Amino acid sequence: MRLIGFSTGALAKGDFTRGIQLQRQRGIRAVELSALRYDELAPLVSAVPSLDLSDFEHVSFHAPSRIQPEDEQTVFELLSSLPPEWPIVVHPGITFTPSLWRTLGARLCIENMDARKQMGRTVSEVRSLFGLFPEASLCLDVGHARQVDPTMASAILMLTEHRARLRQIHVSDIGPMGEHHPLGPLSKWAYARVARKIPRSCPLIIESVVPASAISREIEVVAAAFTPQAQENRSALQHS
Amino acid sequence: MNSTQAAAVTTPLETLESALGASWLAIRQARMRTHDTVRQLKDALKECEDNNCSVIVTGSLGRGEATDGSDADWVLLVDGPADPGHAKMAKDVAAKIKTIVNKDVGRTGTFGNIVASHDLVHYIAGTRDTNENLTRRILLLSESRALTNSAVRERVIGLVLDRYVRHDRSVRRREAKHYNQVPHFLLNDVVRYWRTMASDYASKMWERSREGWGTRNIKLRFSRKLLFIWGLFASFAGRLFNPSDAAVEDEDEFLATLTTLIKTQTEITPLDLLAVVASHESVQKNTAREVFSAYDKFLSVLSDPAQRDHLEKLPFENATTDELYNFLRDESDKFRSGINAIFFDEHTELKSLIREYGVF
Repeated sequence: MRLIGFSTGALAKGDFTRGIQLQRQRGIRAVELSALRYDELAPLVSAVPSLDLSDFEHVSFHAPSRIQPEDEQTVFELLSSLPPEWPIVVHPGITFTPSLWRTLGARLCIENMDARKQMGRTVSEVRSLFGLFPEASLCLDVGHARQVDPTMASAILMLTEHRARLRQIHVSDIGPMGEHHPLGPLSKWAYARVARKIPRSCPLIIESVVPASAISREIEVVAAAFTPQAQENRSALQHS
Repeated sequence: MNSTQAAAVTTPLETLESALGASWLAIRQARMRTHDTVRQLKDALKECEDNNCSVIVTGSLGRGEATDGSDADWVLLVDGPADPGHAKMAKDVAAKIKTIVNKDVGRTGTFGNIVASHDLVHYIAGTRDTNENLTRRILLLSESRALTNSAVRERVIGLVLDRYVRHDRSVRRREAKHYNQVPHFLLNDVVRYWRTMASDYASKMWERSREGWGTRNIKLRFSRKLLFIWGLFASFAGRLFNPSDAAVEDEDEFLATLTTLIKTQTEITPLDLLAVVASHESVQKNTAREVFSAYDKFLSVLSDPAQRDHLEKLPFENATTDELYNFLRDESDKFRSGINAIFFDEHTELKSLIREYGVF
């Protein structure tokens, strides 16, 4: 069984305590602490020492998705203070000063972007980012990759090219306005195409926005989509 | 970029022109004109940006061959939920384009309309693949460029190619380490489209009482034929540009790589792709020179309003005696002769591909 968990933001928006609690109650062992909005960053970072995360084998931290250039230094310093073993998931659009972010080395975990952004969307754009941040790791958002290229050819090529950098996967079904939904049949089939290329040790972080009652079911759906068997079934369907 | 900066970017065609010591002025001028017109169109359409839509031009603007008399064959490509607002957007787009290119799009309804990606992706072959749908799909691949939101254009091209490549049973493992690199489904449609263009020419001769036949005839001999050439190169891309598939790990990676390789050919103009192939060491310099010189003369005539008008109004009865028409027909013979030499006699890989896949 792969290591699968949720982003706290998907389960409880800015209420990270509840987002953690909901997962601990269900024995989930991977979590992403989410500070997607700038205002959520400082409170979450200052709460980190008091959070009981001992149940989690994998913890990552999602930086704010949008900041002003004048806040970059503050954001960087707050993120730098996090435990060094946590990957810091960053949207490339906030790295106004690349030399600053390069100092994070592999802790800097660059996420590929959705179609609305101007960088980090395609194979060549992601390649350019790693030219800028040669030591950075990769958080492959399969929902974003599918939105940009529903055939998943781009995701396959990103995984092939950057396999050594892969630190975690973001999973959800992306709606037309970029919103995160639970997986549907089309996204499950699409993700099954890339499952074989993702090492079993790579954690899957779910970003689907679901109520507490649907957490376990979404984990089951994601686990099924990312098993090699799902890939075999998908191939059989195509060739039938 | 302004037109001066655009000229500074070296394209495969310019590299070939320089290597041959040739001067294809009409082609260069058409490219500059295209660049300027596309820039103006993009500026005019800035307020028409939408996450699920892309305004696309095909025809001479798509190929980078715009001349004084060119129209703007545009469509509003929608890849997302239907919205009544798309109709208003299409009207806005038409009005804005008209301020830059004041020439009506063709009468068939193929252009100047909303086009849903679903038809392009799902209706490939079969009774629902109308002449119009086939035309839009192949032009999207061969000679389109986005005026707004290029991500939508690229996404739909990816989906169409996915149908042609991943869902084509001919493209799969043959032996332990080698795959078939030529998608038969795509190749069939490329050939079908070329034959459709030729049939449409005959049909319009009948329906329009030969009105405008001269321009259509000459375009069939040059620019329409060029699309067929592009299609053959794109279908053969796996063998032409990436002869070894030994490095790929599995079928999924092979299919993704082949799809991406063919998609790459949709990002350069047909003339540039022809220049890439004509630059191959096995192609004789004289052949390449003949092909592009003939095409340059074709564009030179189209860019002269008086000559273009003469061609447009030429009575069919005067075909055998008209000096301009006969000049272009002779040049088109040279173009065809050069293309035949590249495909059948000179290019080492193409010779074998065209024999293997061209007819039987």
